[in-house]
Amino acid sequence: MLFFRSEERVREWCAAHGYPMRPLVTMDQLWTLATTWYSTRLQEDSRRPKPDEMRSIFAGLGLGGDFWDPQSDTFG
Amino acid sequence: MSLETQTKLAIYRHFAETGQRPSLEVVAESVGSDVSSVREAYVRLRAQRVLVLEADGVSIRMAPPFSGVPTQHVVIVGKTSYFANCAWDSFGIPAALHRKGRIHSRCEQSGEPLNLEIGLEGPPPSSWFFHCLVPAARWWDDIVFT
Repeated sequence: MLFFRSEERVREWCAAHGYPMRPLVTMDQLWTLATTWYSTRLQEDSRRPKPDEMRSIFAGLGLGGDFWDPQSDTFG
Repeated sequence: MSLETQTKLAIYRHFAETGQRPSLEVVAESVGSDVSSVREAYVRLRAQRVLVLEADGVSIRMAPPFSGVPTQHVVIVGKTSYFANCAWDSFGIPAALHRKGRIHSRCEQSGEPLNLEIGLEGPPPSSWFFHCLVPAARWWDDIVFT
């Protein structure tokens, strides 16, 4: 999970390492993910989102499909 | 409150206050228990995916978003410096602390530095991107690589 200066830099990095290019996430989307995951982490009753909650969080940000599905078996 | 929850809170509060991972002995003293019981709690917390341990089974590698070891993702909040496990977690530290912070990281391809102020409402407009190589269903197969 890394930062890149631009879409072109992501493309170059993936090509250089033989990796598939995945969906890009903006800084605003990342902030929403971070707050959703961690804003209660220091509290007694905190927990990670469950799979169905994760799916809903991702979908709410326009991050859909098998790549963001925590229970997908597409990637074996 | 269960020992497991006490242990989790002791670990996270230590990270929050110091930026460093606590030792098993420090956590045990904090929760008023013996190291053997706390070690068992570690195993349960690992199963819940709120703790990642080193191969020795007691040193904390990750208490997401905090990293127990140095990384390329440094977050400054107040006068305390933290290491984050990844780009996502670098945003997660100010989010967890509910405080403003400054992120120091880099573009993985070009090495260009990223210095980003995070306010209570998030980052300013930015043209940088976050890229996750590993599908969500595989994140915890090897969370350090992820």
